[in-house]
Formats: sequence, C-alpha cells, structure tokens
Amino acid sequence: MSNRMSAELAEHSDTSPTDQEVATRKASSIELHSLHKRFGADAVALDGVDLSIHAGEFFTLLGPSGCGKTTLLRILAGLEAPDQGTLMVGDKELTEVPPHRRSVNTVFQSYALFPHLSVRDNLAFGLKMRGLPAAERDARVDEIAAFIKLGDLVERRVDQLSGGQRQRIALARALVCEPDVLLLDEPLSALDAGLRSQLQVELQRLQKRLGMTFVFVTHDQDEAMVMSDRIAVLDSGNIQQVGAPSEVYERPANAFVARFMGHDNLFPILARDGLRVQSDLGWLELHKHAGQGDAGDCLLVRPETLEIGDVVPEGYNRLAGVVQERLYRGSRIEYVLEVNGQSLMVVASNLGQQVHQAGDAVTISVCPEDLVTVAA
Amino acid sequence: MNKRLWRRGLSAFWWLTLFFLYLPLAVVVLFSFNSANSSASLAGFSLRWYQRLLGNEQILSAFANSMVLAVVSSLVALGIGCLIGYGMYRHRHRKLGWLIVLIYLPIVLPDIVFGISEMAFFVQIHEATGWLRPGLGTMIIAHVTFQIPFVALIVYSRFVGLDPTLFEAAKDLYATPFKRVQHFMLPTIKPALISAFFLSFTLSIDDFVISFFTAGPESATLPIYIWGAIKKGVSPEINAIASLMIGAVALAALLSLIFNRRRPA
Ligand SMILES: Nc1ncnc2c1ncn2[C@@H]1O[C@H](COP(=O)(O)OP(=O)(O)OP(=O)(O)O)[C@@H](O)[C@H]1O
Ligand SMILES: [Mg+2]
Repeated sequence: MSNRMSAELAEHSDTSPTDQEVATRKASSIELHSLHKRFGADAVALDGVDLSIHAGEFFTLLGPSGCGKTTLLRILAGLEAPDQGTLMVGDKELTEVPPHRRSVNTVFQSYALFPHLSVRDNLAFGLKMRGLPAAERDARVDEIAAFIKLGDLVERRVDQLSGGQRQRIALARALVCEPDVLLLDEPLSALDAGLRSQLQVELQRLQKRLGMTFVFVTHDQDEAMVMSDRIAVLDSGNIQQVGAPSEVYERPANAFVARFMGHDNLFPILARDGLRVQSDLGWLELHKHAGQGDAGDCLLVRPETLEIGDVVPEGYNRLAGVVQERLYRGSRIEYVLEVNGQSLMVVASNLGQQVHQAGDAVTISVCPEDLVTVAA
Repeated sequence: MNKRLWRRGLSAFWWLTLFFLYLPLAVVVLFSFNSANSSASLAGFSLRWYQRLLGNEQILSAFANSMVLAVVSSLVALGIGCLIGYGMYRHRHRKLGWLIVLIYLPIVLPDIVFGISEMAFFVQIHEATGWLRPGLGTMIIAHVTFQIPFVALIVYSRFVGLDPTLFEAAKDLYATPFKRVQHFMLPTIKPALISAFFLSFTLSIDDFVISFFTAGPESATLPIYIWGAIKKGVSPEINAIASLMIGAVALAALLSLIFNRRRPA
C-alpha cells in the first residue's frame, strides 16, 4: 500500500499526519547545471540552463513558444539527452539514466492515453511495468481514483472520455506511480477557459496535499502566477528570471520579462539625476529601492498603481493626461491615457467613483515606491 | 428533368458494371451445384461435384499445398514485414525516399516478370549449390517476397496513425524496451497484423503466375491444378473448386477489411 496516498485519504480522521509531515515525506529537489541542447546546426533549444528546484515545490517554466520549455521538461524526463550539463534529482545523478529507470513521470500535452487499454489498465500501466502484483495494482488504482474523484470513469473506455476527463486520467496515471517528480507539459492548454481555471485550482491544491515536486510548463502568465510557488521565465533557451510570482510580476528582471508578464507601460530612461529619472513621460521621482536603472534601461509603471484624481498626495508624482479610450470590464475600468504624447495604461478598480469619458483631461498620481526600473 | 435522366444513366451503369463483374462468378457457383454432367444446361441441384472433389487425390494434394503455402508464407511475411514496417516508421524523418520505392516496387511489378526472375534465380542457385530445388520451399520464398511489402505498408500506416507521444509515455511509465514491444506495440498494432495476415493469405491463394514459375513437379497448388485440368475442358468439378476458392478468398478479404478498420477500443 502506498503510504502517502493512504495518509491523504485519512486526512480528515484523527490519525492523519499534519500537512508538514506529508509534505516532507518523499519530495525530491532538482539541480540542473549548465544544460545545453541544440537541434541541428542552428536551432538552439537550451543555451546553458542552471536551475535549482526545491523539494515539494510547484515550479513553473514560463515562456513564449519555442523558448525551450518542452525541451527542458523532456530532459528531466529522460526523453531527450542534453548535449552538455548535468541533472540531479534528490542526490541521484540522472543525466545518463534512461526514462524507464527514472522515478519521474510526465503528464503529456496530448495526454497520450493508450488506446488499446481501458482506463483502468491505463492507470495500472506504470505499476504493471514496475512488476507490482495484480491485486496491489488494483488497490492502488482504486485509491488514486478515489483521491482524484474519478468515480466511474475508471471502468470506461478511453474513447468515451471528454478532454477534461482525459486530462484527469493522464494525471492519475502519472500520480499513481508516486514519482519523485511530476512533470506537466501545458496539461490545461487544450481545455476551455472555465474548466481550465477550475483545474488550475484543483491541481495546485493536489500538489500541496501530496507535497510532491511539480514542474509545470505553460506559456500563459496568469496560469503561472495562480499556480506556482516559483516561476522561471525562459527566452530563447536562456533563463531570464527565477522567482515567486509576485517578484516576477512586480519586479521583472528585464524588459522581456516585464512584457511577457503583461506590462505595457514601459518607458526607456533618457536621463537620470539621483532618484529622479527622465523618460517620455517627463521627470519622475523614484524610491531608493526602485533599482539601479540607467539611461538605456526602462521605467516600469504598473497600471493598477496609478490613481486618477485631482488630489495628489504629498510626495507623489503628478502627471497630466487626456483620456483616449475607456474599457469597462465590470470589476475594473481600463483607461488608455495620452501623457506627453505617450500612451499610458491605467487600471482602476470599479468602486463607484467617477467614470471618465474619452477626451476628459485628468490628473494622475504616481507613488514613487510603485515605480521600478528594469534592465533593457 | 435532364438531371434525373443523368442520374438514372449513372445508376444503370453501376448495375451493369456489377452485373459483368459478378455474373461469371455466379454462373460458376450455380453450375457447381448442377446435377447434369455438362456445363451447357442446368438440370437439378446436387452436391455430387463437391463429393467428387473429396475422392480426387490430386485435388486434395493441391488443396493441401495451397494451404501450407498460404499459411506458412503469410506467417513468415508477417514477421519480416512487421519489422520492416516498424523500421520505416522509426526512421520516417530521414530521407529514405528511394528505400520506400524499393519496398513498393514488387507491388507494381508484373507477376510474370517477378515469377520468371525468381525462377531463374532459384535455378541458378540450385545448379551451383544443390539447394533450393523447385518445390514448396521455393514457392514459399517467392510468396513471402511479394507479401512483405503489403505487410510492411499496413504496419507502417498503423504506426503513423498513432500519437507519437504514446511511445514516450510507455518509456516514461517504466516499460523496458522489451516490455514496450510486449505491452504497447504488439497489442496496439494487433488489428493491423491480423488484417495483414489475411491479406497475405488471400494474395497467396490467388496467385497463379508466380507459383507456376517457382513450383516443382509435386507442389502444384489449386490454381496450377485448375490450369492443368482446364486444358481438357471445363468440368463441373472445376466449378466446385472455383466456388470453394471464391468463398475462401472472399472470407479472408472480408476478415482483412474488418480488422484493418477496427480501431482498438
Ligand atoms: N525534435 C526537434 N528537432 C528540431 N528542433 C527542435 C526539436 N524539438 C525542439 N526543437 C526546437 O527547439 C526549440 C525549443 O523547442 P521547445 O519544444 O522546447 O519549445 P517550447 O518552449 O516547448 O515551445 P511551445 O510553447 O511552442 O511548446 C524550438 O526552436 C524548436 O524549433
Ligand atoms: Mg512545448
């Protein structure tokens, strides 16, 4: 019987271990050192990746299409061999170990359920290959089915499942093997928006309850922020930044990360004078923690930190602008303002305050502490 | 109005085609149950020609030869063709155009060319080494050669139709190379293998030309026997053999089709 899973099932009984105990039971850390991978002469998929993933962490690889996320994941799974570099999982060096001898399982983007097997046999496949006797396989499959609430899906045929159901079966098939590390390659990208956000929450809860190390791949920054403990942002085979969602979002390491996290208000710094910087918006006062940006770097103004209103608090920067466009989004209102000939995005929570019309001249307050400089 | 006429014409054409395709077969089957001793007039219903077959040593031995040849050659072709089909799949990304053409060639080559070259080849080897005396052995080799491309192509197209990540999923789920074959590849292509077997079987039973050139004195198959017997005129017995062959081949072709269509549950 699998200890971790039964512990989870007993979660609500008196004898259940605390979350802390569960979480420290078996998770493994991952160390990647100087991974290089190229396909053919000029397609560089990974260009020297160093990464430490902590045990029991929900870690996300985020980046645009073709940046090397899948390649990195496949190297972790052993489905691709790096040209250079090493991979450690826990204290084991796995660089040369073939996939069938790694305690690492993958949830594939296409789910990859075996069409010749029933759902039950799909779930039991990994255990069978590991040589577990039939009775034990059945017990473990029933256990995982109860754990992920698969209900009667287990007795169906694979071609009778919907996309969301396949996704859960693929997840269960990997989890039932109780790997040291679970890899997920855009497992939610084929699902519609509603199901997707529901599964995001479920998946994240599941990971916390199991305390297993998850490495998750996505190109959707919202998804990455909702689910992850930490995010690595990749671009053309290089890691741009590693950090908690709030760090990556609020203090992007460079303009690429800032843009990828959805920031539009980026303005090249033209000149700097102590804590004051000049950009196309004009001179703005920064806080001393804003960063060391110099001419050539960028000033990041987050739209939700800007305030429209005639009263500018003491110590705040004041900008004057004209409303170009207004997008009403229910819970919030987005304005596109023109300031010094530049477009500036402002997001205001819809708290019943005055709604401005296109053409209105407005005053904007900018708190120095909310301004960040980022490397170009 | 015009359109209706056109449609009627097309439909008439269709029935006419079917008529000419199947009428000769129907006549053969009909006359095989004829009680009269002639192929000119129908009398009553009888099974005497079928009973007669059972008493004819030559026919029984030709039947046995046909079956042994078909089953053995199909099994051998299945094994080899399966490996080739998988190899073609595995290396499909490489530029293998000319190799693939080599596989297709026997399919389009006229049987007579194939048969004559096989014969010449076997005779040369026989004269040089004493091996490969014309007989069932050489026929099996010849049949295997023309069955292999069909098997390879069926297996290949089955693999191509699969999600390639399934192979990786099997690796990822702890299957060793041997277990991947046993628990993933063979079960997945099983319908294709069964289909390929029945197709090979049909091709072998059907074949006259290649068999004729590679056969030895004691290894006449049913088509070869019919060819010999028919020189003395079409006897009702021949109708009976032909009817049995029509039935057998139709059944094998049907099974091949069914298994090829079937996607595993
Ligand atoms: N088998 C391969 N052969 C050749 N080039 C490849 C192969 N696999 C990946 N590449 C190349 O390596 C780079 C990284 O690919 P990868 O699949 O890791 O990207 P990704 O970040 O997963 O993208 P996506 O979000 O589109 O899935 C791409 O430029 C891609 O073209
Ligand atoms: Mg990818």
